[in-house]
Amino acid sequence: MTKWIVTDPQKCTACHRCEIACAMAHHGSCRPELARIRIHRFENPAYNVPVVCMACEDAPCIKVCPVNARVREVNGSVVTNTNRCIGCRACVYICPVASPAVNPFTGQTMTCDLCMDQEDGPWCVVACRVDGALWIDDGDRCSLQSARAQAGRVRSVLYGAPRVRAHKKGHL
Amino acid sequence: MKIVVVGNGIAGNCVAFGMRARSRDHEICILSAEKVPEYDPCALPYFIGGDVPHEAVFRKSIQDYRRHDIDLMLDQRVVAIDPRDRRVTTAQGREVPYDKLVLAHGGQLFIPPIEGIRLPGVFNCKQLDAAKQLREHNGRRAVVIGSGAIGIEVAEALHKKGFQVTVIELLDWVLPALFDRETAQRFEAVLADSGVRVLKSEKVLAVEGNGTVSGVVTDKRRIDCDAVVVATGVVPDKSMAATAGVDTERGINVDRHLQTNVADIYACGDCIETVDSCTGEDVMFQLKHNAIDQAAVVVANLAGEPVSYAGAYAFARVHFGRMHAVSFGKSTLSTQCQLGDLKIVERENGPDYLRLILKDNLIVGGQAIGKFADYAGFFMGAMRRGDDFAYLRRSRASVCSLQNHYRWAQRLIGDITGLC
Ligand SMILES: Cc1cc2nc3c(=O)[nH]c(=O)nc-3n(C[C@H](O)[C@H](O)[C@H](O)COP(=O)(O)OP(=O)(O)OC[C@H]3O[C@@H](n4cnc5c(N)ncnc54)[C@H](O)[C@@H]3O)c2cc1C
Repeated sequence: MTKWIVTDPQKCTACHRCEIACAMAHHGSCRPELARIRIHRFENPAYNVPVVCMACEDAPCIKVCPVNARVREVNGSVVTNTNRCIGCRACVYICPVASPAVNPFTGQTMTCDLCMDQEDGPWCVVACRVDGALWIDDGDRCSLQSARAQAGRVRSVLYGAPRVRAHKKGHL
Repeated sequence: MKIVVVGNGIAGNCVAFGMRARSRDHEICILSAEKVPEYDPCALPYFIGGDVPHEAVFRKSIQDYRRHDIDLMLDQRVVAIDPRDRRVTTAQGREVPYDKLVLAHGGQLFIPPIEGIRLPGVFNCKQLDAAKQLREHNGRRAVVIGSGAIGIEVAEALHKKGFQVTVIELLDWVLPALFDRETAQRFEAVLADSGVRVLKSEKVLAVEGNGTVSGVVTDKRRIDCDAVVVATGVVPDKSMAATAGVDTERGINVDRHLQTNVADIYACGDCIETVDSCTGEDVMFQLKHNAIDQAAVVVANLAGEPVSYAGAYAFARVHFGRMHAVSFGKSTLSTQCQLGDLKIVERENGPDYLRLILKDNLIVGGQAIGKFADYAGFFMGAMRRGDDFAYLRRSRASVCSLQNHYRWAQRLIGDITGLC
């Protein structure tokens, strides 16, 4: 990946402009259900977590798709091939933060493609009005690894924390 | 170095192509019992039901093997391994020498010893040629023996094709390996609503037919049908490995580098017995994502990096019509004979249902239907991290801070379940 999206839950105000921009960019509609970015709001203490696909390095969604519809694009993003997707939601369930959204019209899943067809880059980033809440990075301010870690896509979540455990005979 | 892979399935291909991606130096050969390039067994039920076309089942084309200089030998079923002379023999009479051997021959369909089980009209969904036969079968009434994930998927496929479908399950509820009774009952209600008949605690005694299938006899009744699908599970074929003196139990025994007890023989995929990444128990999950992870470990070790396998994980989604469900980790049944303080947390909201299984305050498994299923990844994350919910409950204030990257995920779990 040469570019990735970075978010800051402490700065995000949950104005939902990013969601609407995303739905517009991909579907020409302002329905937030069609967005590939979603904000989780928390109160007390308050912060808002924008959730978007981070195209995990060893992406589990690619491995669990029964029809091999989750594919990595040249720009590094991991997207759903809508010619294949049967809407089984395996990718939603395996994602540590349920980042794939289900298109309410087709039942197929969709995730961030970094707006690869858009000249201005990701529309969510263009739409965000809060400095430092949502931006696109190429390693300048935040490495891909730490962007993924901050978004909760860390190894221990994806593959389990290394724990002392009993191994069968051969495993010692 | 010549690497020979037995089995042209998912694990075998990941090993061969993964090895090729690392180096052009080695000779790589795949021996395949079938006559086609790699396909995905997971896609077969959807192929039968017409959701995906024939070509979408394949993960590779014949050209892919040529382009990557991988010698794919079709229609060669390995029957014996000679570890001293380092060569394998196929049923077709070929002898192939190796320097490193990778056993990736998957599992075999378990065919219950029932009278009439070999009659024409008895199908399965294990391999592509079998799935093709079932797809081409034009009938009206089908009986699916076994209500595991594959049985349910095949039932849905046949239901879509217009069959009147009966599913027969020996145990007391459907999807017994994935679901507890409470979850299964909700799933069964959806099956019944769609017109699929589910017969539980019922044993198939015989398949009847004069030349071709005409019915199934159980310990409770006789059911008219023109098709029977065997979906009673997959078991590894251990006999071939045994010819080399490879240790087997339920599957092939491997160490943490996925090497067998015989020098230069590795094994991965459905044919091995492995460990659960969360509990350390010996398991046979036989799932695609585990096969892919294991193949990557074999590749690293073949290349001289002593990478250890972190273990397998149970994860399966199931659906019928518009109902979507998920199961991960352990079910209540599989925790039954263990020590520890078990706790079940349930949430219900209309058709949506959540059931989490906690042992000593750690999530060890769960099942969810509908909206709750969307949070499965959060629960699995907590399970894998080993989040202690007693601790999280006590330290609620610090749980709320964002210092830790997944604190918000823990808060979300707390909001849904009240666990913290
Ligand atoms: C209908 C169906 C649906 C499934 N759905 C899912 C799902 O949704 N999610 C999931 O995680 N898993 C699913 N699975 C399981 C998944 O397909 C397997 O875990 C995965 O294919 C394992 O890969 P493998 O390479 O170990 O074995 P396989 O893919 O079975 O490949 C083994 C290959 O070896 C060949 N072979 C066998 N014996 C020999 C021999 N002696 N010599 C040479 N070749 C041999 C076989 O012909 C086969 O091609 C499903 C399986 C089936 C059958």
